[in-house]
Amino acid sequence: MYIAFYYGNMIFMNIFLQLLINSLIAGAIYSLIACGFSLIYSTNKFIHFAHGGVIIFSSYIFYTLFSLLHFEFYLSCILTVIFAGLFGYSINLIIYTPLRKKKASSLILLVAGLGVLILTESLSLIFWGADVKTINYIDNIQGLSIFGAIITPLQLIIIIFSLVFLIFFYLLMKKTRLGKAMRAVSDNANVAEIVGISTTKIYSKAFIIGSIVAGVASILISLEQNIESTLGTSLMIKGFTAAVIGGLGSVPGAILGAYFLGLTENFGIWYLPSGYKDAIAFILLFLFLLFRPNGILGIKYNS
Amino acid sequence: MVSTYFIHLLILIGIYGILAVSLQLAVGFGGFLNLGHIAYYGIGAYTFTLLSKHEINFWLCLLLAGIFSAFFGWLLAAAVRKLKGDYLALVTLGFSFVVYAVFQNWTWLTNGPLGISGITRPNFLGFSTNNNNIYFILVFFIFLISYFFIYRVVTSPFGKVVEAVRDDELSAKSLGKRTFKIKLITFSTSAFFAGVAGSLYASYITYIDPSSFTLAGIIPVILIVIIGGLGSFHGTLLATFFIILLPEPLRFMGFSSSIVGPARQIIYAIILLATLYYKPKGFYGKLDLE
Repeated sequence: MYIAFYYGNMIFMNIFLQLLINSLIAGAIYSLIACGFSLIYSTNKFIHFAHGGVIIFSSYIFYTLFSLLHFEFYLSCILTVIFAGLFGYSINLIIYTPLRKKKASSLILLVAGLGVLILTESLSLIFWGADVKTINYIDNIQGLSIFGAIITPLQLIIIIFSLVFLIFFYLLMKKTRLGKAMRAVSDNANVAEIVGISTTKIYSKAFIIGSIVAGVASILISLEQNIESTLGTSLMIKGFTAAVIGGLGSVPGAILGAYFLGLTENFGIWYLPSGYKDAIAFILLFLFLLFRPNGILGIKYNS
Repeated sequence: MVSTYFIHLLILIGIYGILAVSLQLAVGFGGFLNLGHIAYYGIGAYTFTLLSKHEINFWLCLLLAGIFSAFFGWLLAAAVRKLKGDYLALVTLGFSFVVYAVFQNWTWLTNGPLGISGITRPNFLGFSTNNNNIYFILVFFIFLISYFFIYRVVTSPFGKVVEAVRDDELSAKSLGKRTFKIKLITFSTSAFFAGVAGSLYASYITYIDPSSFTLAGIIPVILIVIIGGLGSFHGTLLATFFIILLPEPLRFMGFSSSIVGPARQIIYAIILLATLYYKPKGFYGKLDLE
């Protein structure tokens, strides 16, 4: 009886640790999406629906460069990130800027973003087909076992890399001239304009930087998960959810929100079938929008 | 052969017509951009299917499916009373994802991703609607009822109040109108007719699975509402014909079916973007999307 209890406990510990590790990996990826999304949202003041599309399209580009064309790993990474930045920049230039010139409301921009998302999804279906793509990179290394829970070195690298990258992103936003200008625009675009900051330039720079962060996320996603053309919307919503949980416009908040979302999702499927993962994120978003629209930290955000 | 295909398209136009008019009621008159309208369509379709499996009368199934959808519409509208604009759009979209997850995972009820087949078609005026011509008459009949009901609602004094709440809620409130209740009624009516459209879809195709009720499924309907113009039912009607018929030539161009689906979505996306740029009010629109 004692032994049964002991083993029961062991199994409990194993599941607990495995879910914890899964949460951390999900959090690492979501935090990148959330930070890019939050930057674009707080400066541009509308929901860039196509953010998920940028991520998925970049994942396919990475897959093509690395797995099909056999480019070197780091070269593929750099090219993917450059592509993502250019892609975000062009979406802003071709779609959003002309609409904004016609004084389009934020809802029109949102619907336009939805159009772009559908466009990228369908194009990737035509170019790459509907089958799931996987990239096998350093897959033959045995995972480290911690009390029976498995974490691969790749996953460890993903978590550490995401955190280090976001610290740099945070410093960029806090310390540099560009970061300060961006925060000024997100605080009050009119006043920023009076002080001599060109808001249009900041809008497009936010798109470039936000999409570069998305490009990094896309590489981690393609290494860790499978690539599917339909993932875009759910990734966008997860980025948005994490950003809302942490308080929109705050980098540490977005990171915190992303890990919170990762934990809730992964521990939620301890009780529910794993198909409910996306639904958990939506319910969390809903609860936060209703009861804590300023996020966990309660940062007041001027809209 | 040609006429069979033609009738098929007319039936689709009828079903999409009801769906688009119901969405128009929520977006153009109620003033909430509901990106998750497909959820009510799906709830209607599943409710209808599960009830019709128990040999319940077609009209009763249709009515109950509508009411069940309306109930969820009421629930969501009550829950999001504090939200507006972007947030509201995202929460409604989120709602449709939650509903999709339930269809996908509540296997003993919905049979999960495999879907439910063998849905029987009703008898209409003593004729079996297994003949598509008769089914078309049925759809056309229900479409007319739905269209005139909604049209009557918005042109009535109550409809004017609905528009007043959309344009300026505070003023409407100060005139003693119970704006929250009016929003609830508008939103549930919209959900009711989406449920009816879903029931017709289920009994027409005789098979449903969760994949029909995703974001991609609602894109043409959102497009119809935007192209037709917010606040205009005649515009919605014309746009339904246009949007359903437009991608049809793709079928005859000899592309494989794995290309036709995405190509249709690409056409929709491009038209959507062009409309937002060149004619943000749509063709007969009375107001901007705000």
